[in-house]
Amino acid sequence: MEEVSILSEINWAVIAPLLVIQGILLIVAAIDLIRIDRTNGPKWMWALIIVLINILGPIIYFIFGRRND
Amino acid sequence: MQWWTLFQKELIENVRNVKWVWVPLVMILLAVMDPLTNYYLPQIIDAAGGMPDDTEIQLPEYQPADVVMMSLGQFSSMGVLVIALMSMGVISGERKSGVSELILVKPVSYLNYITAKWASLALLTLVAFSLGMLASWYYINLLFGALSFGALLQVLLFYGLWLLLIVSISIFYNTLVKTPGLVAFLTIATVMLMGLVTTIFSHILEWSPNRISTYIQQMLTTGSVPSDLTGAAIVTLMMIVFLIFGSVYTFRKKELAS
Repeated sequence: MEEVSILSEINWAVIAPLLVIQGILLIVAAIDLIRIDRTNGPKWMWALIIVLINILGPIIYFIFGRRND
Repeated sequence: MQWWTLFQKELIENVRNVKWVWVPLVMILLAVMDPLTNYYLPQIIDAAGGMPDDTEIQLPEYQPADVVMMSLGQFSSMGVLVIALMSMGVISGERKSGVSELILVKPVSYLNYITAKWASLALLTLVAFSLGMLASWYYINLLFGALSFGALLQVLLFYGLWLLLIVSISIFYNTLVKTPGLVAFLTIATVMLMGLVTTIFSHILEWSPNRISTYIQQMLTTGSVPSDLTGAAIVTLMMIVFLIFGSVYTFRKKELAS
């Protein structure tokens, strides 16, 4: 029962924006990965990184995965 | 007019490589992370198993000014890293791939080329930083207590200047070396070195840009702008102008040499 009380204690109006930001990052990174021609390293690796690593995954992809040329 | 065209080209490019999406989002996350974890620390400790019954830890009561400093603290470490990493390839990458030659074959002045790059990066950084601090301000008013919008604007103005200096340092190294990774490393190393020098010679360097965040804290607690902050802001502005002209100069020399 303790877990239930912790969940209800947290104000979801406070946490929701964070979840939204994380969602946007993930979706934008995924769309970008599908549309881009080439990445640094194999595409499937970046797909795993974006989906599996929380918040940081999409950011790492944007910084290191994209090829600008 | 030429400058405006170059500037628009930079803006469009930053929209295409999704910097306009991810940099503001990352800045918002950075600004909001520390205030939220500190506010929910009691619950987090409970969820992680709780304290033994006989421990007594007084969790501090945070004032709005303390929380602003938490957000700024994140910007000084992770924010600088993000700025350095997102700006590392803007000129050096183009020179490596030969795009800059395609542009500079046309009668484009070096000054326009560099300042357009600088302005687009500066705009992106400032907008992202402002959005981050607005999010932080929202949570401060929600969870910790009132902070006036005027105080927030002052924080944005002075700390924004410090972030512009980092952008300028990065642009300068962009014109100096061709490897993007090295640009990011040199930028971060320079900022750390400046911090080190400032702490060692703190009695002389009262107007060092690195002390802006300390003075911002003073400003928030006393409610008036300390004179040292104005001085530091002037020094920062001068360094930015100096760095921009320095980058135009090195860029011209490098391009003529190659």
